[in-house]
Amino acid sequence: MKGKTIGLVLGAAVAFGLPAGAAQAEALKIGIIESLSGPQTSTGRLFAAAAKFVVDEINKNGGFNGAPIEVIEYDNAGGTTGAADKFKQAVADGVHIVLQGASSAIAGQITEDVRKHNIRNPGKEVMFINLGAEALELTGDKCHFYHFRFTTTAPMRVNALVNAMKKAGELGTRVYSINQNYSWGRDMEEATKAAAKVGGYEVVATVLHEVNKIQDFSPYVAKIKEANPDTVVTGNWSNDLLLLMKAAGDAGLKVRFATTFLDQVGNIANAGNTALGHYVAHPYNIEADNSDFPEAYKAATGHYPVYIEPQTVNAVRTLGQALKTVDFGGGDIKVSEIAKALEKASLDTPMGKITVRAEDHQAVIPVVVSKVIENPKYPVDGTKYGFGVVEIIPGPDAIYPVQEACKMERPA
Amino acid sequence: MEFLIISTLNGVTYGLLLFMVSAGLTLIFGMMGVLNFAHASFYMLGAYIAYTVATTINFWLGLLVAPILVGLLGIFVERNLLRRVHAYGHAHELLLTFGLAFIFEELIKLIYGDFPVNYSMPDYLRFPAFTIFGTDYPFYRVFIGLVAVGMFVFLYLLLSRTRAGLVVRAAERLPVMAESLGHNVPLVFMGVFGTGAAFAGLAGAVAGAFFPTNPNMAIELGVIVFVVVVVGGLGSLEGSLAASLLIGLFSSFAVGLDWSLAGLLSWVGLGDWARSVGGLFTLTLSSISGTVPFLLMLIVLLVRPAGLMGERN
Amino acid sequence: MLARIALIAGLLIVLIAVPPFLGIGWQNALTNMLIASLFAMAFNLLVGQAGLLSFGHAAFFGVGAFATLHLMGAIEDRIIAFPTPLLPLAGAVAGILVGAFAGYFATMRSGVYFALVTLAIAELFHSLAPHWDGLFGGEAGLSSMRMPWAGLTFGSPLQVYYLALGWTVVSIFLLWAYTRTAFGRLTLALRDNEQRVRFMGYNAHTTKVIIFSISAMFSGIAGALLAVSNETANYSLFSTHVSAQVVLHTFVGGSTVFFGPAIGASIFTLFAFYISEVTRTWLLYQGLIFVLVMLYAPQGIGGLVQTHIQHWSKISWPELGRAYAVAAAVAVCLTSALVFVVESFAIIFSPEYAAVRGRLDGAWPPFKLFGLEWEVFSPFTWIIPLGLLAVGLLLLPTARRMLRETWNHILERAEAARIAKSEIQLAGAVES
Repeated sequence: MKGKTIGLVLGAAVAFGLPAGAAQAEALKIGIIESLSGPQTSTGRLFAAAAKFVVDEINKNGGFNGAPIEVIEYDNAGGTTGAADKFKQAVADGVHIVLQGASSAIAGQITEDVRKHNIRNPGKEVMFINLGAEALELTGDKCHFYHFRFTTTAPMRVNALVNAMKKAGELGTRVYSINQNYSWGRDMEEATKAAAKVGGYEVVATVLHEVNKIQDFSPYVAKIKEANPDTVVTGNWSNDLLLLMKAAGDAGLKVRFATTFLDQVGNIANAGNTALGHYVAHPYNIEADNSDFPEAYKAATGHYPVYIEPQTVNAVRTLGQALKTVDFGGGDIKVSEIAKALEKASLDTPMGKITVRAEDHQAVIPVVVSKVIENPKYPVDGTKYGFGVVEIIPGPDAIYPVQEACKMERPA
Repeated sequence: MEFLIISTLNGVTYGLLLFMVSAGLTLIFGMMGVLNFAHASFYMLGAYIAYTVATTINFWLGLLVAPILVGLLGIFVERNLLRRVHAYGHAHELLLTFGLAFIFEELIKLIYGDFPVNYSMPDYLRFPAFTIFGTDYPFYRVFIGLVAVGMFVFLYLLLSRTRAGLVVRAAERLPVMAESLGHNVPLVFMGVFGTGAAFAGLAGAVAGAFFPTNPNMAIELGVIVFVVVVVGGLGSLEGSLAASLLIGLFSSFAVGLDWSLAGLLSWVGLGDWARSVGGLFTLTLSSISGTVPFLLMLIVLLVRPAGLMGERN
Repeated sequence: MLARIALIAGLLIVLIAVPPFLGIGWQNALTNMLIASLFAMAFNLLVGQAGLLSFGHAAFFGVGAFATLHLMGAIEDRIIAFPTPLLPLAGAVAGILVGAFAGYFATMRSGVYFALVTLAIAELFHSLAPHWDGLFGGEAGLSSMRMPWAGLTFGSPLQVYYLALGWTVVSIFLLWAYTRTAFGRLTLALRDNEQRVRFMGYNAHTTKVIIFSISAMFSGIAGALLAVSNETANYSLFSTHVSAQVVLHTFVGGSTVFFGPAIGASIFTLFAFYISEVTRTWLLYQGLIFVLVMLYAPQGIGGLVQTHIQHWSKISWPELGRAYAVAAAVAVCLTSALVFVVESFAIIFSPEYAAVRGRLDGAWPPFKLFGLEWEVFSPFTWIIPLGLLAVGLLLLPTARRMLRETWNHILERAEAARIAKSEIQLAGAVES
């Protein structure tokens, strides 16, 4: 077999005394198709690490269908072509569930591949759990029964930011929108415009720029300065966020940033005190977590859960909840049954309850609005800064209406 | 007015950074005809070496050590690798440097990981040099600019006023003649390659503390540096300075310009038609500012391949 | 000649008969191999035949893919009816049109400038495509589905493989046939002496544009096959990475040998397929292999094979065998030392290892590699790779000397035979 089989803890199977006949049981195979080489590697690795953490948990409790769950990693090399290729490989390896999160473009590819595969291979369906791709079209135009999204989308993040910042009196009346020029960035711009009425602000200007190509953001900062906003809303990630904030800090620009990916590893360390006072909307904040999850995660991986790791853990744990409700008696695994169970599954997390909306398979998850503060309980990146909780918005309040474009065909 | 002045300042410093990286490439390309794909990798290595020294010993020592080490690496690459494939032609040299760029990037990832490393200037350098229209202008930007200007002056004087420079120029124009006059041309090539690499290393050490230092920094700057060298003109130091400033200023101003073909066509009453067609017509200049340098390079290559200030075609 | 035809026929039979017995994974890998081979062969028409090094062939590969997807979309939406197996024609048409346009400008320049023009053209596509929704589908790209045709569903990887095989074989045959035509010969002349071609009354620029277009057309077919196989394309097809990969394949395979590029493409695609799953550092090894080939076998692997075939009768096998045995021993020593060190470093510097260290308060736990546990600071861990390295380096001069001497002998014998032959001919000519 091609691929690295990890988490296949044979020892566990013996130690926990699986029922007789377990040798014939079909093991559930999870394929992680992530960017494990190329520019987006750092994020890809986090998704994989977090997913494996939960699978190990499930396997310690006896696995599924009388066998430990197998996790196979596939490197999509950061591109859609690589992803298409590795999806075929995953199918060849007999994978039942595909996980992926870094990049909406790649998720778009995988979700289409899954849809086509399922049309051509009835009875041998494959399911896609989207851990972090936020483009709206994935639960809109491209939605189908075997795709589930366990992360937020632009309206969820923006609405949460706007409401919390307005309550805190830090939103102001002039808002500037700067985003990357692709599906996600455009979603963010739309969401920022749409929330203007509720937030009581005016969108003074909008900018879409190239994705991860710009070395020097000071021209954009000059443009922002000219528009004189109170708050800058941005969905930028990676370098595009870091450089933007650094340029703003260096120019002494006095605005507040409302961001979505400020918690990416390395951002705070690089931005330093420039980041202080800025906002982020994310699905999880460790400061609000009183459970033993952070320590357990650290014990297993060596660091506290960061960035997209918690949402990944929650996604796979929700899957674990769904798996508890299906029983194939050690026989063949029917993915359609698992998908149906996942629609009904729910998970209680320290941030709030997570459920799945059956109409478009968007997870209803709580959104946390946080602010960069000094000396929190859990400082990040080895600095003295961290994310203080401003407000936790429960899932049902954060969610947006089902998109009309989503026409889901359900299996009989 | 405010936007104009601040954008000009920003464009100039960004242009000077581009010049720092491309100065060495201009020399190498101009003299040896080698399209060195690994040049931006030298820039990246400079940043990582400086980061390592800065975090263990001292920031300034990093600025000193990085160019020396990268320069030595450059000498090694020229002497032991490039020279070996020289006989097979420029294509092979280009391909070799391309392979090296690959290797350098993977080695950096192997040792430092895929995340950006926290390489930044010491806190005492983090202050505004001056304030204009209420916008602080960071001192470090001025510092980057000064280093670039210093580099230009140094190279210019070296090439035009010293004996070594004379030999270099001779070796560039007529290598065989220079060789028969008793000059060690291979040594000159090695020296030029090493100097070029060292300058890229210095650029990395200086700029890495301001811009993020990550394994992608070589790819990100790699192609744009070619644009500078081509637009400036083969082997022309002044040309690459001019091209760097041009591209720096353009990137700085393009951001503020919401021009599109549809806007242009509306002057002749075709605006609505163009907007209904969409596609290429409605793309604004600011959203495709990354495309324009390549367009510029293409036009220069087709209309005046010698570049702005190059002498030969 | 007969031997060559037999070899090709044998290879074809293997390519036709074996895949049904392989797993889906291998069938996909073989499809990719065919696509990469065709792309490299098309690219090599330009570099190997006309001496023009393009660094932007991704442009035509990508255009072919997008054109095919537009056609597939039209079939899916029942706008037109079109036989699925002929889909790559769309790629061919798009390739030749864009190729003619781009080639007209690019071939005005030569050498490094030509490479830069093509690089700029591909970068233009790469930076425009994500913003041009209508044509390239924005960042997400276009996506479609293969429709059944004449009772065939084209749903299984095997059917796609045979489709790709058919197109690749026909295309490569056409490329070969092209080199046999008078115009193909003219191409070669163009590479060797452009001025002479001009004096002979040919328009060098027109000739180059035609070659460029043909190369672009076959690149477009390769792109189309990828589109058919993946049923999707996005702007990343235009990236420098794609342009670079085809250059890499061609030169590792050998651009002076007709099948060289296909050899390089096949080796690298299968290498990527197999190794990328085993180690995360596979790109490093790929780079190292490439640089080593550039340094020590500039004619590429195909060139090496060809040299052996050329001098087959002159090779003294025991002598060469000894030289190769020593060289192989050196290679094994150095490679295993290198792989051990790289893989150890990959583990020691990895975030996972740092995590374990974090749990152990900074201690350096042993790491697992090749089924054994190794202590980080134990001399025993490093004595093995160091020993292998030392042995390898010690033997390296011997191996190089033996190889050089053996080949000198072979070439001397070949030269002697050539002279003897011409003397006989000369004598024969004098007698008659």
